[in-house]
Amino acid sequence: MTIKNLTLKTLRYLLIGILVVMAGFPVYWMAATALSPNSELYGTGQRFLLQPQNLFGLVTELGQVPIGQWLFNTLLIASGGTVLSLTLGSLAGYALSRFKFHGRGVVGFLLFMTQVVPEALILVPLYAMFITFGLLNSLTGLVLANVGFSLPVACFVLKGAMDSVPYEIEESAIIDNCPRFSVLTMIILPLIAPSIAAAAVVSFFAGWNEFLFASTFLSDRANWPASVGLASFVGQYETPMSAVMGTALVFSIPAIVFFLLIQRKIVAGLTAGAVKG
Amino acid sequence: MTASKIRSGMTRLVPYAFILPPMIYLMVFMFWPLGRQMYMSLTNTRIINPNRGRFIGLGNYQRLFDDPAFYLSLKATLAYAVLAVIFGVALGTISALAIDRPFKGRAIVRAILLFGWAVPNVAASLIWLWMYNDRSGVFNRLTEALGIGRFGWLTSIDLALPSILATTVWQVAPFVMLVVLAALQSVPHEVREAARIDGADGLSTFRAVTLPHIRPAIQLAALLVCVWSIRRFDIIYLLTGGGPVGTTSTLVVKIRQTAFENHELGMASAYGAIGLVLALAVAAIHCTVEQRRMKWMAR
Repeated sequence: MTIKNLTLKTLRYLLIGILVVMAGFPVYWMAATALSPNSELYGTGQRFLLQPQNLFGLVTELGQVPIGQWLFNTLLIASGGTVLSLTLGSLAGYALSRFKFHGRGVVGFLLFMTQVVPEALILVPLYAMFITFGLLNSLTGLVLANVGFSLPVACFVLKGAMDSVPYEIEESAIIDNCPRFSVLTMIILPLIAPSIAAAAVVSFFAGWNEFLFASTFLSDRANWPASVGLASFVGQYETPMSAVMGTALVFSIPAIVFFLLIQRKIVAGLTAGAVKG
Repeated sequence: MTASKIRSGMTRLVPYAFILPPMIYLMVFMFWPLGRQMYMSLTNTRIINPNRGRFIGLGNYQRLFDDPAFYLSLKATLAYAVLAVIFGVALGTISALAIDRPFKGRAIVRAILLFGWAVPNVAASLIWLWMYNDRSGVFNRLTEALGIGRFGWLTSIDLALPSILATTVWQVAPFVMLVVLAALQSVPHEVREAARIDGADGLSTFRAVTLPHIRPAIQLAALLVCVWSIRRFDIIYLLTGGGPVGTTSTLVVKIRQTAFENHELGMASAYGAIGLVLALAVAAIHCTVEQRRMKWMAR
């Protein structure tokens, strides 16, 4: 019995070890490559250990990449999308959480539909539409396209949070004839601040990571976000691989940090209403 | 009409004041384009003048169904989605079971296991491209050291799809793990303990107690992974560009290439229409399996 337990325990730790290597190695390799001198990457062969002594060389190399401008554009796209999808998402979430109205089922269905529609399906019509309205090659157009997909997720997260706020809290304000919009902004939203933060992170990184629309709509290099800039390294050999991986690392770190911080909320938002209740 | 009647009429309009702005937004930027795409698939629209295509009926579809590349693309899409679901869900569930019970360093292990999910897709594509690199990639250095030679991970017909699947599974398995972990926490500890005391071994406890509890979570995760696989563009496009000879050209990659490399917007829309049918089929399954979620929305 004890021997059997011991083997099981060893097997379990072995399995965990293998999983950690499989999941962690690519990220480790990104860092290791960023910190390798080019003589090793293209010649003698990359070393397996991290070489932090090359950090200074990496920083100099990153100077050749317009990484600051790319990240600035990414930041604009991500924050613009966050503001818009939180505003519209909280309106939709409040309506679904607090009111019975005609067409409610249709609204719920349409919001779900957006979750199965591939972005590529509206790529061509949006392109035609953006040409007409002069939104092609503009960050505004890109934000407008992205929010269609992040708004419903924000709505699910916020509706879930509003459902857990008891009606009694807003009742007295409603009896006092306080406008419903003020009830939402002054009473409900402050109460669900943690979920707003979660919805904000989800929308923000949807914009941060977006590539299909950005690479199709933004032809002007000055407008490129980091995702498009990074992708431009593919099949191009002037930029050393260490600088490419360094850029990828700088681009990934904020996403890794925030995803790890609010992992549970993201899962709750994407699976809302499915597993519990 | 009395004042109170007017007010109650106004009250009935209040919900629409909240729901209309987001719905109008979705109509303009999501559903109208979807409809427009269906119409464009019946025209010969080209990129030079995207708003002036001539109506050509089912011409695009006729060409589509005569084109072996279309069937290849359909096959690639289905194979990619199905295999991503199978391997992603299996690996994610195994990971969740492996780290469900507390052990030393669990928080760090859990964080590392989530890396693939947290890294942005484009950055992930670049890392894997470098690892798959013919000359200096880590995989070929490994196989060379093992004496089995080099492989064209992304360029050989047999390996390209498995290679992009490996990257995909690295990205989706952590999400499955999180969903299953959340469900595992709802398994009452006493029930498992009781089964163990009654002499049930690990496997039968799992089958009788744990699995029924986490089955809905696994189902949902499988559906989401399936939907995401049909939607995924960046990883496939950056790793293989749909090649070699179309073995990884999923519908989504095909849409983008037909529209912006061949400049045939009408034809790309026809590919899109097929994609929509596929998405609707998955949505139908989604709605049947996830009726609970629909009810939750309408509650």
